[in-house]
Parts: sequence; structure tokens; C-alpha cells
Amino acid sequence: MESFHFLLAGFGAALSLQNLAFALAGCVLGTLIGVLPGLGPAAGTAILIPVTFTLDPTAAIIMLCAIYYGAMYGGTITSVLINVPGEAASVVTCLDGYQMAKQGRGGTALGIAAIGSFIGGIAATLALTAVALPLARLALRFGPPEFFALMLVGLCLVTGLAGRSLLAALLMTVVGLLLSMVGIDPVRGAPRFTFGIADLYDGVGFIPVVMGLFGVGEILLTAEAPHRQVIETKLRQLLPSREEWKRSMGAIGRGTALGFFLGLIPGVGAIIPTFMAYILEKRLSEHPERFGHGAIEGVAAPETANNAYANASMVPLLALGIPSSPTIAVLMGAFIMNGLTPGPFLFQERPDLVWAVIASFFIGNVILLVLNLPLVGLWASLLRVPSQYLCVGTLLFCIIGAYSLKQSVFDVGLMIGFGLVGYVLRKLDFPLAPAVLALILGPFMERSLRTSLEMSSGDFTIFVTRPICLALLVIAAAILASSALRLAPAPLRDAESS
Amino acid sequence: MTLGWQVVSLMFLGLCIATLVSSLEFPLSDPLGPGPGFFPFWLSLAGGGLALLLLARATRAGVPARAGETLLPDRAGARRVASVLVSLVGVAVLLTPLGFRLTALVFISALLIALGARTWWIIAAFALAGSFGVFHVFSDWLEVPLPTGVLGI
Repeated sequence: MESFHFLLAGFGAALSLQNLAFALAGCVLGTLIGVLPGLGPAAGTAILIPVTFTLDPTAAIIMLCAIYYGAMYGGTITSVLINVPGEAASVVTCLDGYQMAKQGRGGTALGIAAIGSFIGGIAATLALTAVALPLARLALRFGPPEFFALMLVGLCLVTGLAGRSLLAALLMTVVGLLLSMVGIDPVRGAPRFTFGIADLYDGVGFIPVVMGLFGVGEILLTAEAPHRQVIETKLRQLLPSREEWKRSMGAIGRGTALGFFLGLIPGVGAIIPTFMAYILEKRLSEHPERFGHGAIEGVAAPETANNAYANASMVPLLALGIPSSPTIAVLMGAFIMNGLTPGPFLFQERPDLVWAVIASFFIGNVILLVLNLPLVGLWASLLRVPSQYLCVGTLLFCIIGAYSLKQSVFDVGLMIGFGLVGYVLRKLDFPLAPAVLALILGPFMERSLRTSLEMSSGDFTIFVTRPICLALLVIAAAILASSALRLAPAPLRDAESS
Repeated sequence: MTLGWQVVSLMFLGLCIATLVSSLEFPLSDPLGPGPGFFPFWLSLAGGGLALLLLARATRAGVPARAGETLLPDRAGARRVASVLVSLVGVAVLLTPLGFRLTALVFISALLIALGARTWWIIAAFALAGSFGVFHVFSDWLEVPLPTGVLGI
């Protein structure tokens, strides 16, 4: 009940005219990012961080969160209309959504996606409200060894489920951690791996790296093969028929539960819940042969799971300070830039901000429903903009984003370099998410590890003599072992690699 | 695909060797516990081992390409990718001396033409909006400083 009292106070702040305007702007920009193929939510959120530089931290975080879940919804539109997911979590929506569009039911597919996303988002935010504060209080009992082990679990999950090769994913994690070592040593203050370059004293900028890997890298891939075809479909019939409602409601309920619970686990990533929701519906269906040929449950379940996941994945960030995906890592970066450290102490130090942001999730979900049901035709028309204009516009925002953080041309160069690296690695199917998460978690991990060893005078048994820490390390080892033995279902592995 | 994995594994191996050597410049431990070299040293060692394993596996078993996967783009695709990269490098070089507006004007016009846009008035309108318009929005409205160059433009 205490949480809901705080939430009411949060609504007071979130419903101010200024914060409402920024939530609306974030939802519009996020949907736009999701709609435009070639710009995922991670790069999209990173690109728009400069827009929030002059805002107060509450408005800035509200806007960036709205961009995030707006983008998670916007990706559906391209999945349905051009069979190209606007962001990775919408990959599975292509299977039945595009078939529905080809059958002239594109409007219904987008309608059920918006309704499912709304229900999933609201239910997940309610659960987030109930869970976040107790979890944050539990985390206050964690010491450096437990935090180190928790971050290790997150990295192991991202690594274990990433791509076609566990070795490649592990290597990318190590590379990300090594990149995070550049700059001032977080414990002793000595510069490391800076090669005398003053720009590297602050470390390798997280924003230029994300923009390069995900933004410029994606644009290079789009520039290489720019063709796409928009399905001409009537978008008037947005609401499903009675029969379609009947089929969808169960799928929406199960998608909500699945998305929420998977969102609580640091490191799961947005693709897994959508694929699991799809597989679950197909298994439960009396006519599984309809899946892949325009089954409405094949759109309702993953889209609901996607949005429930998006809202629930804020729990590990807010309560534990652990980002679950590259986009959440960007949000974590935005918190840090605003002088805030996500995690259990944030609930004590800035409850006004935390609860205003959580309240804004409810408001954002309503805004998204209003934006997406009546305006779906407008979003769809954006897909007819020639790809070269989208590429150039996106690159322009990448340049501004990389430069404006520190007014540094060096960061623009860094972004270009990582763009080329991202392009090559994506062509080779190397997973990028582990490197990005490792880059942001690296300094925290190193500080936790070294502080733990200082506590024990260099004795490593500190990690196995504390029960919570030991349990977390066992979980991390189990995740890696199951991944090494290829125990994760093949469709999930394929989804992650796609 | 196999060659690509081998080359990337070798590059990561080189990176790990370089960081391993650099990490030895810092103490691995000090009186308070692990030193600044501790984490990078062990990470580099682990990364080097993983890169070697990956190289060995790619060489022994190969990495088959999936349906639709190609490592190298066709000639037109390569030209477009090169155009994007060259124009981005141009931005990095020109941003400080020319300022954002002139650099963006040249960047947008040149890249649009290179990527196949042909309607001159749309290119001109897009370039003006993307350079002078965007500068106005970011500098004046959002108070995000963008470079003005030696000419003050």
C-alpha cells in the first residue's frame, strides 16, 4: 500500500503540464523511431539525449522513458506493413502480422497490437509499482560482493542467450569490459589505456559507442540494401471482430504475465519474451497450423509481452541499478548524466523523481494508445519516405548526439569507428548487446570486485561464504553451462541472433 | 563467412595482447588489495584465450553462411556504404573549421546525391532544413551548443 501512496504523489508531478508535454513528445518521437526501419530504440534513445540536456532531470527521464516504450510499440507498424521489424523485439510479429496485412487485415493487426500493448503495459506498471520498492529495500542489504555477483548474472544472461556462438558472445563481453577500463581507474584514480589522449580520460563515451554500433552500423546495412516494399492495406478496420477478440484475450493475458516476469530478470533482452509468448500460443492453440498464416494471437501475444517486458524491465534498473538491455543501458547512462545513480539508493534520495517516472509510465501507455489507434495511418505513411532521406536524417542526429555530449569532435570520430565495427560485426552475426552492457557495467563491476577483495584482504572466498552472493554465482554458472550445452530452445537462439 | 570470423578473431586477439601488455604497466595489487592492473590483466588473458578458441573453431569447423547472408556487398552496395563512411569522415574533419551549418549543408546534399536522390529542390530544402533549421532548433531552442567554425556561421 505504501508504494501506491508514493505513486499518487508521483502522479501529482507527472501530470504537471510540463511533464505531460514531455511524455507526449517522448511517445511521438519514440513511435517515430520505432516506425523508421534502420533506427532501433537503443540508438534512437541515445540520439535524443541531447534534446533533454536543458530539461530538469524528472522531465528528461520521463521523456527518455517515453521514447523507449514508444519505440517498442512503433516497431510493430513496420513489422506488419513491410515485414521489416522496426526494432528487434518485433521480429516475431512479422510472422503473422505481415500475413494479416497481405490478407487486407493490417488495420486489425495494428489495432490488436496497440490494445495488447496498452493492457500489457498498464498491468506491468501496476506490478512494477508493487514490486520495485520492496526489491529496492532488499537490495539495500546487498554489499559489494552481492552486487558484483548480480551484475555477473545479468552479463551471463545476455551472453548465454546471444547469437549463434557462446564463444563469440563471451568474447564480446570481455571486449566490452576492456573498453570500460579506458579512462580514470574508478578506485585509485590512475589513468589507464588513455595513450596520452586527453579525450579518453573520461573513458570511451557510452553514447558514441551505442550510436556507432546500433545507429551508424544499421544505416550502413540499410545503405547497402535499401529496397523495401510497403503493403497497400486498408487501415480502417482497426478493431478486431468478436471471434478475433475471443482468440486474443487469452493471448494478451498470457503475454502480459510472461513479459512481466521475464522483464524482471536482468539481461533477458526484449526478444526472448516475444518469442516465448508466440511459442506458448502456438503450443496452446487447437489449430497451430494457422500460425504463420495470419493468426491474430500470433500478433497479440508477442506485442503484449513486448510492452509488458518494456515496462517491467525498468524494475531491475530502478531497484537494483542493473540494465537488462542496451536500450535500458542508454537510459541508465541518461540517469547518470543527470547526476542520478539508478538503484536502491535512488528510492531514498529522489523518491519524487522515481515515483513521477513510474506514474508517467501509466500516462505514457494511455498516450500511446490514443496516438496509435487513430493515427496509425499517419505513422504508416512515413514508411513511404525514401530511404536515403531517412538515412541522412538519422546520421545527422547521430552526429549531433555524439558531438553535443562533450562538444567533442573526437566523439564523432569514435562513433564513426564504432559504426564501421558494428557494421562488420553485424554482418558476421557477432552479438553486440553483451559488449554494450559490459561497457556500462564494467566500472561498477570492477569497483564491486575490488572493494569486495579489499574487504576480505584479497581473499576470494568472500564470494562463496555469503549466501546470497553464492546463490547468484551458482545461477550465473548455471546460465553459462546451460548455454554451453545448448539447452536454450533453438527458436530463442535463432531469434537472438536475428 | 569463415574468413570473416578468422579475421575478426585475430583482431580481437591482437587487441587482448595489446591490453595485456599495457595492463602490466600498472600494479596488479597494492597494500589495499587489487591494483589498477588487476581487472584488465585477467580480462585480457581471458579475452585472448577466447579469441584463440574462436579462431581455432572457425578454422577447424568453418562458419557456414545462413540463407541470405553475404559478407561482401555488391558493387552498388559497396559504393553506397563507402559514400556514407567518406561523408561521415568529412563531417569529422570539417565540423570544427566550417561549423555545423556549412558542414551539414555539404554533408546532406552530397550524401543524398550519392545515395541516389535526384530531385534538386527536395535535396536543397532537406539540406537547408537539416543544416540551418536544425542548428536553430538545437542552439536557440534547446540550448545545445553546436560549432560555428572560423567564419562564425
